Order: sequence, then C-alpha cells, then structure tokens
Amino acid sequence: MKSLARNVIYQGKNFFRDSGQVFWTILFPIILASFFNLAFSGLTYETIEDINVGVSEDNPLKFMLEDVEEFNIYEITDESYKDKLINEEIHVYVDEDMELVVSQSGISQSIIKEVVEQIKQAIALGRPIEGTEFQVSYIKQKDQESNSIIVIYYALIAMVSAYALFIGIETVSLMQANLSNVGIRLNVTPLKKESFLVSGTIVAFILNIISNIILLLFLKYVLKLDLFTNFTYSFILIIIGNLFGVALGVFLGASSKKDNNTKTAFGIAITLFFSFLSGLNGPGMKSLIDEKAPIIGRINPFSIITNNLYRINLIGNTETFPEGIVVLGIYIVILLCGSYFFLRRRTYDSI
Amino acid sequence: MTVYKYFFKITWNNKFAILLYFALFLVTVILNSSSMGDTETDFSDIRLSVGIIDNENSKLSNGLIDYIKSRNDIVDTKEDEVYIKEQIFMESAHGVLIIPEGFDEDTLGKKESVIVYTDDRRPESMQLENQINKYLSFANIAYQGDEYMLDDVEEALTETVQVNFIDKQGESNKNAIKWANFYFNFTGYAIVAIYIMAIGLVMSEINNKKVALRRRISSKRFLNYNIEILLGQLSIAVATVAVFIIGFIVWKGDLIGLIDFEKYIVNIVVFSTSILSLTFLVTNLTNNRYAIMALATVLSLGTSFISGVMVPQEYLGEKVLNIAKFFPVYHFVKANNTNISSYGEIRNELLIMILFAVAFLLLGLIVSKRSQRMNVSRVKSNMRQ
Repeated sequence: MKSLARNVIYQGKNFFRDSGQVFWTILFPIILASFFNLAFSGLTYETIEDINVGVSEDNPLKFMLEDVEEFNIYEITDESYKDKLINEEIHVYVDEDMELVVSQSGISQSIIKEVVEQIKQAIALGRPIEGTEFQVSYIKQKDQESNSIIVIYYALIAMVSAYALFIGIETVSLMQANLSNVGIRLNVTPLKKESFLVSGTIVAFILNIISNIILLLFLKYVLKLDLFTNFTYSFILIIIGNLFGVALGVFLGASSKKDNNTKTAFGIAITLFFSFLSGLNGPGMKSLIDEKAPIIGRINPFSIITNNLYRINLIGNTETFPEGIVVLGIYIVILLCGSYFFLRRRTYDSI
Repeated sequence: MTVYKYFFKITWNNKFAILLYFALFLVTVILNSSSMGDTETDFSDIRLSVGIIDNENSKLSNGLIDYIKSRNDIVDTKEDEVYIKEQIFMESAHGVLIIPEGFDEDTLGKKESVIVYTDDRRPESMQLENQINKYLSFANIAYQGDEYMLDDVEEALTETVQVNFIDKQGESNKNAIKWANFYFNFTGYAIVAIYIMAIGLVMSEINNKKVALRRRISSKRFLNYNIEILLGQLSIAVATVAVFIIGFIVWKGDLIGLIDFEKYIVNIVVFSTSILSLTFLVTNLTNNRYAIMALATVLSLGTSFISGVMVPQEYLGEKVLNIAKFFPVYHFVKANNTNISSYGEIRNELLIMILFAVAFLLLGLIVSKRSQRMNVSRVKSNMRQ
C-alpha cells in the first residue's frame, strides 16, 4: 500500500514535469470549448418573424395576409419584385390573381403558399363562412425547445473524459523495457510492475477527472452554460468515461511496440473519429447516423456518453442510462483483459 | 536522400492516424452528400418530419392523418412524453401529434382537440399548426346533419395555387456548387489537422535534442538537410491535396462541367501553402508531441467552427466572423463560397492567404533562429562546465 502511494506521488510529479501534457490535459478542452462558444454565440436561426411577403398594388389579399401577425407585408408597385426575390429581400410575391412567384423553395415560401391556398380552398369548399371559424385553434400546444447544437458540448465532454488514455499509454510505456529507459530500470529492480501499473492508472484517472471538473466549471461559470441538471448521473457517466479512457490507453500502450508518438496520434485520431460520429462537429452528423444506422449510437462509446448526458440533463430521461453503463463496462473489461493478455509474463532476453 | 527517406519512415508509422482523418473526411462528406438534393428548377413544398399517434381512430382522425401524411413525411414515434421531447429537441421530428380519445367531440365543440409537440419559435411549427387548424376548420364548416362531410373537405383541399419559379441567373447549377463548396470547405479542416499532426509529429522526432546533436556532428550539409526536410513536407502536402482533388474527380467528376473547378484547385493550393507555413511555425514553437497534437486539434476544429466549415458563414455572427478573419480557413471558405467570373473577385482572399503564408514563415524563421542561438549558448555553457 505504501509503495502504491509512493508510486502515485512519483507518477503524478512526472506528469507535471511534461508541460505539453499538462497543456493537453487541462487547457486543450478549455480552448476548444471557447472556440465552440465563440462560434455559437452569434448563431442565428430562421424564426417565424422573418417571413416577408411582397404583394402587388391594390391586391385584395393584402388585408387578409396582414391579419397573419407573423408576416411582414410589402406592397410592390413595379417589376422590382423579381430583384427583391433574387436578393432574398422577400420570400414570396403574391399577385392579384392569387399566383405566387418565388426564387427558391423553403419553409417560409411553403407557409405563405399554405395560407394563400387556404383562402382559395375555403372558396372551393362552397359553404357559408362566418369568418370566425379560422380564428379557432384546435391545438393544445406543448412546446419543447429544440437546441440540437448544444449536443456539441456534451460530445466535447465525452471526448475529453476519455483523454485519460494518454496518461494510460505513458504509464504502460514507462513499465516496458523495450519502450523506455525507465522500463529497463524498472524491470531490473524488485519493484512490482503491478503496483506501478495500478498507480499509473490511478494517476491517469485522478488527473483527468480534475481536468474534466475544471472544464465543467469553466463551462458553467465562464461560458455561463447550464449543461447539468442531474449531477449524480452525469458524474457517474463522466467517471465511467474516464475509466474507459484509462483502459483504452493501457490497451493501446500494451498492444503495440510502436513508440509513444504513434500510439498517442492514433489515440487522438480514434477518439476524434468516434466523437465526430457522436456529434462533435455538429448535430447534423449525429442525426444522420441516428436515422440511418442507429446501432452506431448504441455501441459507439462516445455516443453513449453524449446521448446519455443530454438525455439526463436536458430531457430528464434516464431510460438508456443503465444500458449505456453496461456497454461501457463491457468495453472496459474487454480492454483490460486484452491489456493483461499482452502484458502478462513479459520477459526480455536482453535489455 | 537519407533524411527524406527517414521523414517518410516516421510518417508511415503514423499511417493509421492519418488514415483516420481521411476516413473522418470521407464519412462526413458521404453522409452530408446524401442529404443534398438535385438541382432546383421548380418550386417544391417543404415536407416536415411529423410523428402521429391516434387514440381516437375515427373517420375524422383518419381524414386528418391522411391529409397530414399527404403534405409531410411521417416519422416513427411513441406515446412517451420524454421520447417525443427528445425527438423535438434533436430535431429528428418537427412536430408530433397526439390525437386523444374524445377528439371528434372536442373538434365539434371548437375546443383544443389535438395535442401537438413542436418548438414554437421555429417556422415549421407554424406550418404544421396551419395545416391541422385548416383541416379541422374545414371539417367543422362542412359538418352537416350529425356528420362530417369529409369528401367535400378533401375535394376542396385539392385546390392549389400556381407557383411561378424564377431561376436565379447564373445559379442554375446551385446544387453542384453547393456540393463542391461543402466538399472543398471540409478539406480545410482535414488539411489543417493532417499537416500539423503528420508533419508536426515527424518534426518533433527530427528536432529531438539527441537527434539534432548527432546531425550537427554528421557530414551532412545543413543546407542539404533542410532541403530534404522541406521536400518531405512538400511531398506530404502535395499528396494530401492530390488525394482530395482526385477524390472529387473520381466521386463527382460529372459536376466538374457545372462548377468552376479551377477556382477550387487554385484556392486549395494557396490555402495548403499557408497551412504548410503555419505548420512550420508550430514545429518551431514546440517540440512537445502533446502540444503539437493539441494544436492540431484546436486549430483545425476550432477555426473550422468559427470560419464556416462546420456551420455556414451566413449563420455565424458578425463578431465571430471578424475574429475568424485572423485565420486562413475563413478566407479559404469565403473564396470557395464566392461564385466568380474572374479571379479578381477572390483576389483579396488569395492574397491574404499568401500573406498569412509569408507571415507564418517569417515568424517560424525568427523562432527557429532564436531557439538555435539558445541551443548553441546552452551547449557552450555545458562545455565550459
């Protein structure tokens, strides 16, 4: 136990000696989150108030269209409506014969068409209309804000929770005589390798958790993002993400004789690849995958963390949480068993 | 050419990581290309994604569902509020309708008879609500002798308005251009990531203190050594750009006649030069592999987000775009997105990227010179001791 604690302290100190690794672990997620926040701070969505309708002079429909509070009506007296359509100053031009002119398809154009069509269809219905019929709403509306872009932050948290893998790679490299000088020394001393590996794992886990907490505090207090409503479940997911990261790092470190540069580059590329699939580059990719290959969302470790984080915190849904934890747990066990297979009884004829 | 060969040997060690970046590019482009339609020559109504649950199963509810189905695409849903809210939140459905029991009676009584989940800030919610209210209003107007005369309603609903489409001049190939813009804009992300990571990692090994000291006492001339390094970097850059250009030709060669292909090639070559210089600066700033990889990810992903690669420039705020102007990616994307009749129209963008290349190169040289001086003085002081 004493030697374990000593190893933890030494390996922790060793980590802080490498300024690049400290930068990578702590500052990198913060810089990336700042870029995301910068990009999304000015992001504009198409809203209902943006619908602009051009009408011909003395158009009988003008007054009916003016009744629709979401429409901005512009009376256009000459042929300039064509330029206004091309320059996207108006979405649709309505002439006195109830014909529409558009320069592109879109939701605003479809809405205006629907309204004009309704007037024509009401006439075609051939029933007396009092005028109050169309003021009735048959809809009991339940509003749910859509904000798929926020998933990017959860994908970022998922990705960095697995960044314990880099210290994992480093630890395994340090204990292998064919990969590092420290490994050579370690193999000729009576120090237990198991203790070294376990302490490395603890250091990787603790440091990455600290880095994650710094990121979460940054998101909450500096960027003022309220991403967490269910702290307990979220923290469990982040912890499991960290364990997965450590296990992946140990596996990558143990399974190949390549140098650390190669393994780290591979680790980054693989985490980035699966994070992209979970929505790191925008919700579009995630939605497409959910639609075309939903199984990927259920087996991709980064999607499991991302999906569960937003479900738990924004929708209050914990239904898929147990499944996610089990799948991640299976991955961790497989990776650790694989690592054990590569590391066991490793001896060297000459070091 | 020992150095040149060694350069490639180290690059080859990182082949899987580099291939993953190409795979990332490929997956993104394939998935996004599937959502891009054909060239728009006529007006088409926007079809919303709508989920429907019918607990009434009456003539009126079936009539409403048929009408909604005829105007929209139906997505699977289930009567679970949490599930529905997630569908709306993630925009996998624009709206979900629940037709409760007692629907017919409530409709006749002009009460709120349908539950609709939408995001009411979005225009799609207005469209869906208009369609539902219209159908039910018509049904009530046509109600006669204890019966909804739905045949009359359906006949009236077949009435449509004429929509005349003006094709914007010079934009008849809009979708081909849109596709090419997306493809080449995304190469911006991949080029920054691949150059800094691949070249950066090779340079971090080559610039390793022990290797550098051995190189100094070797018979290899410094100039030849530098030329071979430069050749190695250029080879990676040329190979990467070639993969992207050939990829486009192989995949969407039929679009080449519809777009200004030459513009994209000139732009990607100029951009590639500026990123190669940026990589030169990065490798002179740090030799630490973690820092290099962090910079590769931050500079590629971060600048792509604020410059219009991941999110189109028209959706980004002015403040964001003003900051993005300090990175070459912004100018690359802007030049890609500009439809030109002559190169004069993107002259500024190309010029700025060249200036970036020169600035990064000069900065890199200054940093390199400083670190060389520091190394020499360190070696001298070590020797004195």
